[in-house]
Amino acid sequence: MNNLDSLPKKKILSLFMTCGFPTLNQSKKVFNEMLSHQPDIIEFGLPFSDPMADGPIIQEANKLALRSKLSTQQSLNLIKEFNKSKNNTSFVIMCYLNTVRKFGLNKFIKNIKSIVDGIIIVDLPFEEEDAIKRSLSKNNIHLIKLISPMTDKKRSQKLLKNSKGFIYYISATGITGSNKLDYKEINKNVKSIKKMSSVPVLVGFGIKSKKDVIDISKKTNADGVIIGSALIQKYFDIKMDFNKYLKSLKKFIQEVKI
Amino acid sequence: MKKYKQPSTIGRFGEFGGMYVSETLMPLLLNLDKSYKKIQKDKKFKKELNDLFKNYVGRPSSLHYAKNLSKYINGPKVYFKRDELNHTGAHKINNCLGQILLAKKMGKTRIIAETGAGQHGVATATVCALFGLPCYIYMGSKDIERQKPNVFRMKLLGATIIPVESGSKSLKDAMNEALRDWIKNVRDTFYIIGSTAGPHPYPKMVRDFQSVIGKEAREQILKVEKKLPDYLIACVGGGSNAMGLFYPFLNDKNVKIIGVEAAGKGAKTEETAATMTSGTPGILHGSYSYVLQDNDGQIKEAHSISAGLDYPGVGPEHSYLKDIKRVKYFGITDKEALEAFQICSKLEGIIPALEPSHALAYLIKAFKNKQKNKVVILNLCGRGDKDLFTAAKAIGFDADE
Ligand SMILES: Cc1ncc(COP(=O)(O)O)c(C=O)c1O
Repeated sequence: MNNLDSLPKKKILSLFMTCGFPTLNQSKKVFNEMLSHQPDIIEFGLPFSDPMADGPIIQEANKLALRSKLSTQQSLNLIKEFNKSKNNTSFVIMCYLNTVRKFGLNKFIKNIKSIVDGIIIVDLPFEEEDAIKRSLSKNNIHLIKLISPMTDKKRSQKLLKNSKGFIYYISATGITGSNKLDYKEINKNVKSIKKMSSVPVLVGFGIKSKKDVIDISKKTNADGVIIGSALIQKYFDIKMDFNKYLKSLKKFIQEVKI
Repeated sequence: MKKYKQPSTIGRFGEFGGMYVSETLMPLLLNLDKSYKKIQKDKKFKKELNDLFKNYVGRPSSLHYAKNLSKYINGPKVYFKRDELNHTGAHKINNCLGQILLAKKMGKTRIIAETGAGQHGVATATVCALFGLPCYIYMGSKDIERQKPNVFRMKLLGATIIPVESGSKSLKDAMNEALRDWIKNVRDTFYIIGSTAGPHPYPKMVRDFQSVIGKEAREQILKVEKKLPDYLIACVGGGSNAMGLFYPFLNDKNVKIIGVEAAGKGAKTEETAATMTSGTPGILHGSYSYVLQDNDGQIKEAHSISAGLDYPGVGPEHSYLKDIKRVKYFGITDKEALEAFQICSKLEGIIPALEPSHALAYLIKAFKNKQKNKVVILNLCGRGDKDLFTAAKAIGFDADE
């Protein structure tokens, strides 16, 4: 069974966090805290040395996680520990292709089978996805599609054919953690995506506050939001005091659950 | 031998290359590919570029018979393809002119670039000044420190330099930041990549623009030697000067081709930039190619005394040429390059950049007292002005003031 197939219809909340951040042990506590709020989706970011599509905050999280030479296997083990079957939260991995390739595609899939429901490979474009998509689908893991404001209609149609799980709409032409949200444009594009596909559309990149979450829900047709950088930013806001961080994380997640 | 025809329409050189970027960039790359295909057939574009090559860059660059060095080596007859005589002092300008003409055709109004040695940054700033476009150069703070003359040059030319503090603070990180800038400013910005690296169509496009080097060299050597060369030698960072020289000779199976990488403190040490000697295939900056990485695919920091070669990746076409064994690649250490830098200066009255000094070092090392009666063309792709301070420091000469 794939939890992503039974996402709620509206106000879906997906929380992104880098594995091993700030340290492997503390990371377990961070994910535990996140999980305790039962968000609809948790995205586990696998740290990469060169996260090209990420902004400064997630870059810093990757760097901190890799400080202690965190391996891919350790990240995958961490995800395994949270035993998805015990709750309704969907698990999704977000990573760069080199991580999967170097680990070995088959070995990677063997490791995440029945552990996660979906995977986002940020730098795997539609043109290159065939073999990977086939292997994933054999193991009931959905390959989540990203659509950007630059993706035109013709291309969207190709990308969205047979899409599963949810669609990740990149709300700003930008890297993760960018700041401007243009609700009109978001709404226009989300509407157009929804005409082509029946799976939920989540808006990510640049969502920072309760207000942003409410605005997306009220001013657009999107089915939910993805929050990442804002969760990590709290750690730096609090001057890296880990206990305070957990508390501020709790408060923030309570706020954005609308 | 089958006629060489790479890359495929989706930018693959054998299994290498491709376009591994996020969906924010994908539509832009496809559009760039389309525009590039279109201008390749455009006679006006070709004429414009050739005029600039001739009157602005000073092409063709000469083919100089390095008599004294040849005598010193006591081996083959060595010719220098002197792209260091180009305006701005290196081969980089060939590619920048091609790309900025394309940017203009595409209606882009803002130019960004990454730079390591600063040569590509200077060349980009130069063409931006010529065409009146705002120019933003990403440069690692470590490189800003060791390539100060070029930093000042770029500023004089009106460019804004954005220091990059992440990672190893050199070329790889500058390229990450430039790509991030592009993702943020997709609509008005053209990214002029400085080497045969990055996602398709860059490796092909940069090779094509640089292949003017090899085309000229071919004509020139046929004129003076009445035959093709026995060897071609060039240094390989991302691989653009090398591809520029090699490409027009790839079908000539009697021409042996050698690429020289920077091995830093040694190809077997952690402080190296010899990607194809010490690396394994992986994905960096949108392209599948050899890269320096650990067992988990984390990209390692490179090391070389030459900022232009200090890159843990290499263009995908070189990876392909290595695997089909058409080109052989070797590593040269910082120390060997510095020696060659001095030998060439003294013997030929040409102060080479540290990058081609690696090619020179390989030539001296591998051909000493060997291969007599053979003819070698070495790509002297840059001059050493930018490296004077680095070299002085390494040699132990007090160059302050
Ligand atoms: C003079 C010179 N040669 C070589 C290089 C390395 O680049 P490539 O391998 O693309 O020729 C550089 C890069 O800055 C350079 O300035």
